[in-house]
This record gives sequence, C-alpha cells and structure tokens, in this order.
Amino acid sequence: MFLGIELPQIVLSAIYFALTLGVVLLMALFLVWWERKVSAHIQVRFGPMMTGKWHGWSQTLADALKLLQKEDIVPRAADKGVYFWAPVIVFGATMMTFVVIPWSPRFIAADLNVGILYIIAITTFTIISLLMAGWGSNNKYSLLGGMRSAAQIVSYEVPLTLSIMGVVLLAQSLSMQDIVADQNKFWNWNIIRQPLGFLVYLVAATAEVNRTPFDLPEAEQELVAGFNVEYSGMKFAMFFLAEFVNMFVVAAIATALFLGGWWGPFGNESLGWLWFVLKSMGVVFVLMWFRWTYPRLRVDHLMEFAWKWLLPLAFLNLLATGLIYNLVK
Amino acid sequence: MGMVKDFFSGIYNLVVGLFVTGKHLGRHAITLQYPKERWEMPERSRGVVVLLSDPETGELNCTACLLCMKACPTGAIIIDREKNPETKRWFPTKFVIDNTICAFCGLCEESCNFDAIKLTGKYEFSVFDQSELIYDMDRLAELGRDVKYTPRKKPAAKKAAEQKKPPAEGKKPDEKKEDTAEKKPEEKPDKIETNPAEKKEEKAEASDKKTEDQESRKPEEAKQGDLGLDKEEDKKESGN
Repeated sequence: MFLGIELPQIVLSAIYFALTLGVVLLMALFLVWWERKVSAHIQVRFGPMMTGKWHGWSQTLADALKLLQKEDIVPRAADKGVYFWAPVIVFGATMMTFVVIPWSPRFIAADLNVGILYIIAITTFTIISLLMAGWGSNNKYSLLGGMRSAAQIVSYEVPLTLSIMGVVLLAQSLSMQDIVADQNKFWNWNIIRQPLGFLVYLVAATAEVNRTPFDLPEAEQELVAGFNVEYSGMKFAMFFLAEFVNMFVVAAIATALFLGGWWGPFGNESLGWLWFVLKSMGVVFVLMWFRWTYPRLRVDHLMEFAWKWLLPLAFLNLLATGLIYNLVK
Repeated sequence: MGMVKDFFSGIYNLVVGLFVTGKHLGRHAITLQYPKERWEMPERSRGVVVLLSDPETGELNCTACLLCMKACPTGAIIIDREKNPETKRWFPTKFVIDNTICAFCGLCEESCNFDAIKLTGKYEFSVFDQSELIYDMDRLAELGRDVKYTPRKKPAAKKAAEQKKPPAEGKKPDEKKEDTAEKKPEEKPDKIETNPAEKKEEKAEASDKKTEDQESRKPEEAKQGDLGLDKEEDKKESGN
C-alpha cells in the first residue's frame, strides 16, 4: 500500500529507495550544518551565518555543490581500482542499512526476519572500505588511519553486538518491527529494561562511527585527516556524507532498539515516523555533544576500554537479562 | 573495589563534562559579526582624523589658524587659507590630511581651540590605492558630519560642572576660573541644548562598560579644554 494504491512490490521498493536516497542525502547535509552549529554554540560562537541568510542554512548545500565541481585528483601511485571503489562501498553499505530501519509501523523497506543481524553484517562493510581507502591511497597517513579504523571497529563490534543481544532476547525476535512493537509502553522501552545495554551500545556505536572520543582513525593532529587524506572532490564528499549518514543510522538503530522506535507518548501510530525521526535526532545530538566535550582516547586505552570494560559489561548485561527473563517467565 | 570506584567516578566526571559544554550551548555567542555589527568605539579613540562642522549651519569649525599643521609631527596636515574681507576671518581653502603618514598621535586635536579637528573611532581605511588615503577637505568634512563629541569650547559647561560637583582636587589654578567666569552668560543656553542630547546618545551607546569610563572622564576633559581655550583665546585677542 502506497497512498492508498495497490502497487507491485518492485515499484514500492523503487519508490522507497528513491525516497530514502533523497531524504538521506538531505539529512546528511542537514546533519553537517547542525554539527557545525552545535560545535559553534558549545564554543560560544555562531558557526555558519552567511550562506542563505537564515543562520547559514544552505552552507552545506553550497559546499556539496563546490565539491561536485572539484577536480578529482588521484595519486599517481594509488591502487586505482581499490581507490575508486572505497567511497562507493562505504556509501552503498550505509544506504543498505536503511532497508530495515522501521520509520513507522508500515513504512519499512523490508521487515527482514534477521533485521538486526543484517545491520550488523552490513555495517561491517564500512571497515573494509576504510581499509581499502587507506591502502589504495598509498599514503602513510591514510594507511595508518585505515588500520586504526579496522582495529577499532572490529574491537567495538563485539560489545556492540552483545549489547544488542539483550534486546533480542527480550523481544524474542531479530526483526526490527518486532523489537519496536515489543516496547509498546514507556516502561517497556529497552532503555528502561536494559539501561546497561543502552550505555554499552551508545559507547560502542560512538566508536563504530569513528566519532570523538574514539576518532583515532581520523585524528587530525596525527594523521592529517586519516583514511581520506588523498580523496578530493565528490569522492571525499561520499566519505563525508557516509560518515554523517552512518551517525544517523547508529542513532536510528538506538531509537529502534532502546528508545521505543515509532511509539509516541500518545499511542498515535500515524505520527510514528515523526517520533522516530525526533528520537533519532535526539541521539544524534547526544553524539555531537560527546564529540565537542570529550578529548580523544589513546590507542591502548581505546583497546583496553573495549576488551576490559565494555565486553565484560555487555556479557554481564546479557547474563542478567537471560536470568531475569527466565525467572519472570 | 578500587576499580569499581574508578568506574563510577569516571562516569560522574564524564557527566560533569557534558553539563559544562551543555551550559555553554545555552549561552549566546559572543561573536561580533563584523560587517553587520561594529564595536561602539569610545569618544576619545584615535582613528580617522575628521573635520568637525557646526551641526546647525553646516560650516566647518576650522578657522585656519594653522596650529594643527604646526603641531603635526609627521607633517600630514597641509592647509591653505584665505581671509574673508568682510568678516576679517581666516578660512581654509584647502585642508588635506595624508593618512599614509599620519601617526594618529592626536596632537592636532589637542592643539585645536575650536573643536575643528578630531580623531574619531572610525577605523576602516582600506583602499586599493595609497593615493586614496590622502583625504581632502570635503572628504574630511563629510566624515565629521555624524561624529559625536564633547564640545570643549564651552566655558559654561565648566561652570555647570562646578556648580553640581565640588571642584576636582584643585587641578586648575584659580585665576583661570575667574577668567572664564566672565564669559559664562552668553554661552550658557548653548550648553543646555547640547548636553542632554549627548547624554541620550551615550545611553544608546552604553552597550559597553567603556562608555561609563568615558562619562566619568568627561568633566575633566571639558575643564582641560576650557583652560587651553582660554589661554589661546587670550593670545589670539592680544595678537589681533
């Protein structure tokens, strides 16, 4: 069903894809602008103010148009194929996660019965593309950034997945819609039932999208810009957009898994998408807040934190959830 | 136990950090958006030199006495003058200030007895060619049109200040006071007109603490001006 008309699945999918692509790109532009605003106001500045008259709202649009016109510079010693495909894969993988994002009770591209597992699998593509970008650029900074990124994401993937397992255990399903539907009352939201799980997820997700305090892969002071040093023009824009879209994806998953998804305070399902977007934006804001508050971790601290703290905590959460679930049942 | 304690104190500290940045997020930015907004410069700041004119008649206050030209240490001021055959008064025919060599020392302003030349808070000079920095009389007069200043030529202002407040620590000799006292009656109305207007303007400007300083400084400045003025006027009269 789309606007009351019965359409074949393939057409619906195409519509959904086009809508998602448009919305996501616009959202990425908005997020970049928003991040600049948040960072500026935390530092008691204004941020962009000129472009488009009203608080520089079209600044990122102008930036994107500029990047489109830029010459695409490829280093002579780069591994051309790897270099070319890295941004494509990172952007593609990011877009693919939108398949199972439950915007509202009905608006979901495909309610896969392995939904959350699918997301975990797809986001792993990001590591590959970052490694590809680092390796293909044939630049020491890029390579170091890529290696760091891979090490970090592989490490944080483990507590992230384990923190999600608690939610899956409660909902008895991997499907995103089932997980959201399970949180039908405020006190059934998983942030209430799984506070520790939410904390672990938030921290691991921050690391997953390479944001401060876990932004070692693109530590400016050490690596210039990390894995995307050698990228310019639209390829750079792809990385940049993917980074911000990834941030939204992570926030959207947090919303779906822990914050009640499209359930609003009044139980009105027709406004589900609005609640979903609002909650996701709230999580995005928290991620931005983190970024402009905390200093970067050291590499060994980063690993120590993942393996010595987050992993045991995630296990503890899983164990407690399992025990209580069985006792209550 | 130590580890657990560390864990919770660590989380506490992280939350404190978030609150600190959150507090700043709520504050209004302190940025001044330059081309749209500008600082209100203090009245006595030393920027572009302008020629002041009478706000009513629009004529320059300058009497072409050449004192500023003589006072200028860099020779940035060039004045040509002529005498009006009817009134027997000098007036400038050419008044040029070369801002490329001006040192903004303010000696021209100090030497002037007629509130004719003043350093202002204007500071935007940039031009594409150095020759544009040489300001002629029209330009200087135009720049001086909207300049607010405390007239120094009003002995009445001094008298009014004295009546309100006790004289400040006997900085001026008494004889001078008596000299000025003779001239008071004529110029008193003038003073009453100008002063309230100035105060209003200052209130509008008072976005900055600096204006307060300025206000407190003003009476003294006026007095000093009066002193200088009296001397010079005496000289001039005797000279003529």
